[in-house]
Amino acid sequence: MAEASQLFKEFKIQSVSEFFRRNAAMLGYTGKVRSLTTLVHEAVTNSLDACEEAGIPPYIRVEIEELGREHYKVVVEDNGPGIPEKYITHVFGKMLAGTKAHRNIQSRGQQGIGISGAVMFAQITSGKATRVITSTGNDEIIEAWVKIDVDKNEGKIVKKEKHPNPDGWHGTRIELEVKNVKYMRSKQGVYWYLKLTAIANPHAHIELIEPDGRLIVFPRSSEEVPEPPVEMKPHPKGVLTDDVYRMAKKTKRQTVRRFLIGEFSRISDKKVDELVEYIAALRLIKTVEDKKVQEQLYERLMKGEVKAVLRSFRGYTKVVKQVAKMMEKPPEKLTWHEAEEIVEAFKYMKFLAPPTHGLRPIGEENIEKGLKGILKPEFVTAVTRPPKVYSGGIPFQVEVGLAYGGEIPSGFELLRYANRVPLLFDAGSCVTTQAARSVDWKRYKVDDLDRTPLVLMINVVSVHVPYTGTGKQSIASVDEIYNEIRLAIMDAARRLQTYLSGKHRRLYQVKRKKTFEKYVPEIARALSVLTGEPEEKIREYFLNFIESHFASKEAVEVSENA
Amino acid sequence: MPKRKAIHREKPKEKFSYDPKKVLSKLEEYGRSVLEAIKSGKNPYFDIPMRGLNNVYFDEKSRLIKMGDKLSRRYFLNVAHARKFMQTLLIMAYVKRLVSEGKHASLREAYYANKHTIPGTRENTFEDQRESDPIIEDLERMLGVLREEMHITADRRGYIYGDIVIRDGEDEFNASKLGSGGWAVPGTVEHIQFPEINVDYALVVETAAMADRLIEEKFPKKENALIIATQGQASRGVRRLIHRLHYEEGLPIIVFTDGDPYGWYIYSTIKQGSINLAYLSDKLATPEARFVGMTMDDIKRYGLENVTEKLKGIPPNKKGGPTGDYKRILEEMEYPWFQNREWQRQLKMALKWGVRIEQQALANKSLEFVAREYLPEKINNGDLLP
Repeated sequence: MAEASQLFKEFKIQSVSEFFRRNAAMLGYTGKVRSLTTLVHEAVTNSLDACEEAGIPPYIRVEIEELGREHYKVVVEDNGPGIPEKYITHVFGKMLAGTKAHRNIQSRGQQGIGISGAVMFAQITSGKATRVITSTGNDEIIEAWVKIDVDKNEGKIVKKEKHPNPDGWHGTRIELEVKNVKYMRSKQGVYWYLKLTAIANPHAHIELIEPDGRLIVFPRSSEEVPEPPVEMKPHPKGVLTDDVYRMAKKTKRQTVRRFLIGEFSRISDKKVDELVEYIAALRLIKTVEDKKVQEQLYERLMKGEVKAVLRSFRGYTKVVKQVAKMMEKPPEKLTWHEAEEIVEAFKYMKFLAPPTHGLRPIGEENIEKGLKGILKPEFVTAVTRPPKVYSGGIPFQVEVGLAYGGEIPSGFELLRYANRVPLLFDAGSCVTTQAARSVDWKRYKVDDLDRTPLVLMINVVSVHVPYTGTGKQSIASVDEIYNEIRLAIMDAARRLQTYLSGKHRRLYQVKRKKTFEKYVPEIARALSVLTGEPEEKIREYFLNFIESHFASKEAVEVSENA
Repeated sequence: MPKRKAIHREKPKEKFSYDPKKVLSKLEEYGRSVLEAIKSGKNPYFDIPMRGLNNVYFDEKSRLIKMGDKLSRRYFLNVAHARKFMQTLLIMAYVKRLVSEGKHASLREAYYANKHTIPGTRENTFEDQRESDPIIEDLERMLGVLREEMHITADRRGYIYGDIVIRDGEDEFNASKLGSGGWAVPGTVEHIQFPEINVDYALVVETAAMADRLIEEKFPKKENALIIATQGQASRGVRRLIHRLHYEEGLPIIVFTDGDPYGWYIYSTIKQGSINLAYLSDKLATPEARFVGMTMDDIKRYGLENVTEKLKGIPPNKKGGPTGDYKRILEEMEYPWFQNREWQRQLKMALKWGVRIEQQALANKSLEFVAREYLPEKINNGDLLP
C-alpha cells in the first residue's frame, strides 16, 4: 500500500487557468463554430461594458481573417476609454479577477473569466500571444503581446512597443490568433451573434468583416448610452433562511435591526417594528392547538390584521417584547431558528416592489429602435414589465419586443437575451421558448405562427439569471419568470393584434374601393349609350364620387381612433 | 244546318298596343336619373320590384296573380350590389340598341353579346347565362315592359292551326293553309297582327299528339275552332298569344289538358298567371279561360276506368305522405281560383280514387272519338269548368 505522502507528491494545486484549460467546454469553448462566437462575445462584451462605463457611444469593429484551415485571426476594436498600461496584464491575464463576480449586480459578463478566457483559448490552440493595442487618449499608444502563465494564473507581456498618439485616439484593439474554430454564417455563428447584439444594444455601432472580405454594418439607432448597472440589496420577499443567516454572520452592523435595515432593500425602522409584531404573532399562533382556529389566524395574518391577531392572545405584549429584544442583539448571534422566523414573517408582510436602479433593462423605446434599425419591420412594439422578485429576493425584469412584417421573412423567430446578451444555444430548454410557445397566438390575429413574419425578442434582466447549465445559454423555468414573460408577450401581442386588425380594415377598404372602381368603365359606357353623355365625363363623375366617399370614411375612422 | 253554339267570338276589350318608343323613353329616363344622382354626389340606385312568393298575391277583382309593391333597392355603392348595378346598365344599353335598330336577340344571344372580361381584371361582366336572365327579368318588372317588347326572346314552343290570317312583318298567311304542322308560335308575338279571323273560339291543347290528332280529324274546320298546342307548360309567347286573341280579338279560350295535377297547373297558369311572372299577369293571363277536360267525371261518363293511371307518390293518409301527385293536388286545392265547388269536387275525387287520366286515353274508344264526340259534345253543351 502506497504511503500517503507518496500519493500527495503527485498532487498539485491546480490553478484557475489550469482548470480552465482542462474544462474549456464548460465556459462556452465547445464546438468549432461556438468557440469562435464565444471568443468574439467576450471581446465585444468587454468593449460594450467599457464604453458604457465611460459614457461613450460604442463603435465596435470585428474582423475575422482566415489564415488557414480552421485557423483564424480575430480582431476586435473599440473606441472605449482604453486600458492604462499597468492594468493590461490584469485585464487580459487573470482569471476570476473581475469586480462583478461577488456583487449583487447585473452584469453582461457571464463567467467572470471573460476576455482572459479568450486569450487563454487563443494561446492553447495556436500557441500565439494576444496582441493588444490600446490608448487612454493620452500621447502614447501601447502595443503589447500578452500571454498567460498557466501555472501562476498571471498575465505576462511578452513584447511591448509604444507609439505616439498625435490624434488623441482612445480605445482598445485586440488581435487573437485561434485554431480549431470555424467561421460559419449559421444561427450559432459570429454574424448572427453580432446581429442580435446590435438589436439589444441600439446605442452601439457594430461592424463585421467576414473572412471573404464582406463588410456588414449594424448601424447605431439610438444615441443614448445606457448607464452602467449598480449594486443592489436583496429584497425581503423570497430570501432564503440561509441568505439571512449567512449575511448576518458577515455583516459589520451592530444590531439585527441595523443589519436588516442596512443590508436589505425596502426595510425601514418601521418595517422592523412591524416584523416584530409578525414574528410574535406567528409564535403565538403556533401555540394554538385547534388546527381550524390556527388556519383562520394564519389567514387573518395574511390579510394584514396582525394587531387584531395579537390582541386575541392574552399576555401577548410579553412575547412582543421578547422578539423586540432579538432585534437589538448583535447579528452574528442570530440563530438559524431566528433567521427562519424572520423569513417566514417576511412572507406575510407587504413590502414595496424591489428597487429597479440595479436593473438595466433596454427600455421599450430602445428595443423598438433596435428592432427597427436592424430588422426593418413594418410594425414594432416593446413591453418592459415592472421589476419582480423570484426566490432568494432576486429582482428580475422581463422585456419583450415584437417586430412584424416588412423585411422580416415569414416564419417565427425568437431572439433570446439575458442581460442583453444573446443566447444562441439550448433554445429548447429555455423558459423563454416555453413561454413564447405557450401563448395562444391565434387570439392575437396570428393564425399560423410558423408562417407569419414575426420576430419576438425576450430579454430577461437580473442580477442573477437562473441558467439551466454551465453553458449559460438557457434560462431555467422559474414560475415567476415564466409568468412575467407570458404577460409581457401577451401585452405586446395585443398591440400587434390592434395593428393587424387596423391593417385588415384598411386593406378591406382599399379592396372595397377597387371593387367599385373596376366597374366604372363598364357603367360609363352603358350610361353613355343610354343618355348620350360622353363616356369620359361619366367616368369622372363616378370616380370622384367614390373618391369623396372613401375620403370621408377615412376621416371618420381617424377621429374614432384619436 | 249549323247547330247553335254555346261558344262564339265576342267583342275585343284591348287594342293592339305595341310601341317601341315607350321602351326607349323609359330606358333613357332611368339612365338620366342615375346620371343626375352621381352628378349631385348621391349614391345612384334602381328600385326593382321584388321577385318571389313574398311579393305576389291573388287579386280577387281581376282574378289574377299579381305582383306586390315590395321593392328592392340596388345601389351602385354597395359591395353586394355594385356588380348587378353594372350588369343592369349593360343590359339596358343593349336593349336600347336592339330596339332602336329593330333587331331581336334571344336570351342566350343577349348573354353572349354582353359577356366580356372587364379591362384590368380577371372578372367577366357576366359569368354565365344564369346571371343575365334574372337581370332581364328585373328590367321587365322595373320598366313594366315585356321582355318581348325589349326585343329579347325566349326559345319558341307551341303552334297554332286554324282559319286565321296572321301578319308577321312583311308576311301574311292563313294558319290553316300551312299544312298539318300549323304555324309555330315565335318567341315574341308583340308585333304580330290578325287581319282576319274566322273561328269561334280557341282550343288550347296541352300535348302536341292531341293537337295533331284533332287537326287530322279536321276538328278545326268542322268546329270552326283554332287549335293552340302548348306542348307542355305554355311558353310566354303562347300565353301572350292566348291573351291577345282573347282580349284583342274576342276569342273565347277553352283549355284541354291531361286529367292530372300538371295539366291542371298548366290551365291555372294560362288562366291566372304564375308566381314567377306575376308582374306580367296583366299581359299574359286570361282569367276568362275555361276548362274542358280531362276531368274525373269523364272517367265515369265515358267509361274510361281501365285506362286511368295511378297517381304518383304517397297518399296523405299513408306514412311519409303526401308526396308527388298527391302533394300537388293538395296544394292546388288551396289555390284561391280553385275555390269553387266544381274544382274542389274534381280534386277531391282524384285524391279519393288515386288516379289520373291522359288526353290520349280517349283513343281507347276510337281515334275519332275525341274530335267527333267528346269535345263537340262538351263544348257545345257548355259543359266546362270555370
